[in-house]
Amino acid sequence: MALMFMQLAATVYNTFFKRNSVYVTAIFASAFAFGVGFDVGVTAFYDKWNKGKQWKDIRHKYITEEE
Amino acid sequence: MATFQAVKKALNLAPTVRSLPSGVPAAPLLNLAVRAPSSGHDHHGASGPRSDVAPKWTGGVSRTSAGLVSKTFSTAPAVSFHQHRLLHTSVVRKDAPEVPDFSPYRASSTDGNRALSYFMVGSLGVLSASAAKSSVSEFLQTMAASADVLALAKVELEIGNIPEGKNVIIKWRGKPVFIRHRTQSEIEEARSVDWKTFRDPQSDEERVKKPDWLVMLGVCTHLGCVPIGEAGDYGGWFCPCHGSHYDISGRARKGPAPLNLEIPQYEFNEAEGKLVIG
Repeated sequence: MALMFMQLAATVYNTFFKRNSVYVTAIFASAFAFGVGFDVGVTAFYDKWNKGKQWKDIRHKYITEEE
Repeated sequence: MATFQAVKKALNLAPTVRSLPSGVPAAPLLNLAVRAPSSGHDHHGASGPRSDVAPKWTGGVSRTSAGLVSKTFSTAPAVSFHQHRLLHTSVVRKDAPEVPDFSPYRASSTDGNRALSYFMVGSLGVLSASAAKSSVSEFLQTMAASADVLALAKVELEIGNIPEGKNVIIKWRGKPVFIRHRTQSEIEEARSVDWKTFRDPQSDEERVKKPDWLVMLGVCTHLGCVPIGEAGDYGGWFCPCHGSHYDISGRARKGPAPLNLEIPQYEFNEAEGKLVIG
């Protein structure tokens, strides 16, 4: 277990942290991914928290699509 | 991590055991050549002769039957010692209370700690970068037009009740917009002429999305008057201010106008039979 962790740590260090160019690139890439994920997560939470209160949830009660 | 263990049990003696009547310290059991045991964490190099002491031939402290003698064989002026130097050359006692043994607490390998440190620094970088990006983009969004402004910037028009061969003029963003429901003969006329010789060469196909609907800004490209519909030499529009003639596709054909009448952005809403300008 401890040995596996050490190997993982060494692998991560050698992959991402050793060269500063790779490190900074990884930071910016994960910042982008984090921003997108954060937005999606917060929006999902907001919609869940306000379920039944938003216009998109109650629109069908007031507007019936005439075909 | 081989810890050097002295064979002899080392003791922390008082610096001098006794003094001779002359005041010279006598320490018959003092080992002047002893070295501190090396551990894995002090980086003083491998064992061997100490490098930080002067070589033997320059003098140094020696043990004689008459006590400790310090001699200096050098050309430098001799320094007479007016005070006793206390000598600590005995082995450090590991069980001394002020020097705890931390070796059970030390990490066996520093890889994990190093990776964790870099990871924490990188995480802070990720958070800062995404906060900075979010600040910039939110600030730029404050400059964008809001939804109500965008809604006002569009005009919807029912085109089902405009008969063929009629003009409609509506106001859009403070400017008149001409909408003409063209007849088939007008379309043929607009498409049959040799448009490459015009002042602002443009084919009719470029100017309309649907051939029977001509939508364009009703502002003369010369000096901004509003042309009159169904007038002029070409059956299109005529600007009364300086006499520019536009044809049935709104192209400048005669007079001072340098360009064709401008086409705004528009699209057809087929389901509701509407024309949306903007």
